[in-house]
Amino acid sequence: MKPARVRAVTRRVLQQFRHDRRTLALLFVVPLVVLGLLGYLLRGGGGGHTVVGVVNLDQGQLGGRIANALVASKRVDASRLSEADARQRLSDGRIAGYILLPTDLTAKATSGGAISPEVHLEGSQPGPSADVLQALNQALIAALAGAGPHLSPKIFYLHGGSGLDTLDYFGPAFVGLIVFFLVFVVTSVAFLRERSQGTLERLMASPLRRGEIVLGYMLGFGLVALVQGLLVLLFALYVLRIHNEGNVLLVFLIEALLAIGAVNLGIFLSMFARTEFQAVQFIPIAIVPQFLLSGVLFPIHQEPVPLQYLSNVLPLTYAVYGLRDVMLKGAGLGSAGLQLDLGVAVVFAAAMVVVASATLRRRIA
Amino acid sequence: MTGDAVAIEGVTKSFGSLRALDGVSLRVHPGEVYGLLGPNGSGKTTLIRMLVGLVLPETGSIEVLGTRMPDIGVLGRIGYMTQQAALYPDLSVEENVRFFGAVNDAEAGLEEALRFVELWDRRSSTVINLSGGMRQRLSLACAIVHKPALLLLDEPTVGVDPQLRLQLWERFRAMTNTGTSIVVSSHVMDEAERCDRLGLILFGKLLAEGSADELRRKAGTDSLEQAFLALSGTGR
Repeated sequence: MKPARVRAVTRRVLQQFRHDRRTLALLFVVPLVVLGLLGYLLRGGGGGHTVVGVVNLDQGQLGGRIANALVASKRVDASRLSEADARQRLSDGRIAGYILLPTDLTAKATSGGAISPEVHLEGSQPGPSADVLQALNQALIAALAGAGPHLSPKIFYLHGGSGLDTLDYFGPAFVGLIVFFLVFVVTSVAFLRERSQGTLERLMASPLRRGEIVLGYMLGFGLVALVQGLLVLLFALYVLRIHNEGNVLLVFLIEALLAIGAVNLGIFLSMFARTEFQAVQFIPIAIVPQFLLSGVLFPIHQEPVPLQYLSNVLPLTYAVYGLRDVMLKGAGLGSAGLQLDLGVAVVFAAAMVVVASATLRRRIA
Repeated sequence: MTGDAVAIEGVTKSFGSLRALDGVSLRVHPGEVYGLLGPNGSGKTTLIRMLVGLVLPETGSIEVLGTRMPDIGVLGRIGYMTQQAALYPDLSVEENVRFFGAVNDAEAGLEEALRFVELWDRRSSTVINLSGGMRQRLSLACAIVHKPALLLLDEPTVGVDPQLRLQLWERFRAMTNTGTSIVVSSHVMDEAERCDRLGLILFGKLLAEGSADELRRKAGTDSLEQAFLALSGTGR
């Protein structure tokens, strides 16, 4: 293993990127466009207002004032309903939730106690839930004119629910996925081209060792992937403002391990393709199942049991767990779960390096 | 160990039911141009690939520059120009030569190689923008940048116009004058005339060996082409 030769391969890979600005732009712009679209989709609020019901059972005047403020609110499309009607509409999915102002609302407010409006939410979609809560908050402030009594609303979710919004949940997984996916595609096509244009045969007829080729590729594409990963991460944190409780460096580390694994998976799979067309067809084979089964979209414990076994052996699963643990739960290196996730990512990256080097044949026959 | 640049002894190779090489033995002396002459599919490329260890013989032995192949250690002293101009199309002329130099442990020699093939002035051009002939010359520059002792040329002048072919052969001859041995495969007869010695290959067999004059004399014909046809007729 000669560093100068590895450096030559790496430099050449980077020079190719410099000449192929379109691919480079694709690598840096596509993830931001995709993430941006996802962010807008999940957080954009939509054109239609969230439809909610207001059930006023209060025997005093305060309930009426809050209800009026809610109906007047621009944040939600609120209308007065009876309790039975509201409950029916919520379970039919016609409203995102309803706010119930209890009979003793005014009484409690005047006696100085805490008032407890009930908020019944559909709960499976975080966006509308947030709208309802914000609208109630604003209505209370308006109705109570600031100097109000202590407030303790009771929140009921119909389907579980969460304090975080959808983007906060999907964001960490997508940060990893996008890097993995794009690096895989670019490497497999680049390496396939090396084969089809005959330059690989030339390299095999030179003193360059297989490990030096794989390492050189890994460093060249790895460097580009790291810049991409960094860009994606900064975009997610500072433009989309995805919730992050953990150490950014840990997120970056997981991204980097994923990128290394993707480069070598790309080299490995390109051995089995003869044309770029075929290489692209490895995407549905190698990437889509991982995407579906790694818990990005569907929690793994909700999958059918046979698929859970499969999910648990896919490396991407652990990366997704790891990214979520760090960003949503603030897990650090001391966390046993994260140690497992990082361990699997390291083993995956290392295994891919070995497999890629091993399948690279010097002999044509 | 022999003093020869190449020593091939009784080499056999099959691909499935196809007998690609059948008991071929030949030697290439230092500083000579040895031409492998034969039609497409006769086994020329397979033989050349064996010289760089890309294909292993089933029987027989191959020695290159005194080293029994396959051996990665000797590859840095061999220059290999493949049939198609195997280059990185999105890199510049200079970047291509520098890269192939670096993987052969030669950091210097860039300018010399590019001047040799008269591409120094085009060194910053991207390969995509080069003509076919220029690519062929660049491919040669990439094969000689590390000053190999043995140069393997697999049909180097396919699709090259006569003028450039003449130029390339002047280059090859200039290299042998500095001690480089060259093995070149071809199916073009006027090219064969330029080789010091020729090996006629047909269906994986070495039918005849010698200079162009010797082959003509042996076959009793006026042209090399007729000699080739006559000799291949007897070889069946």
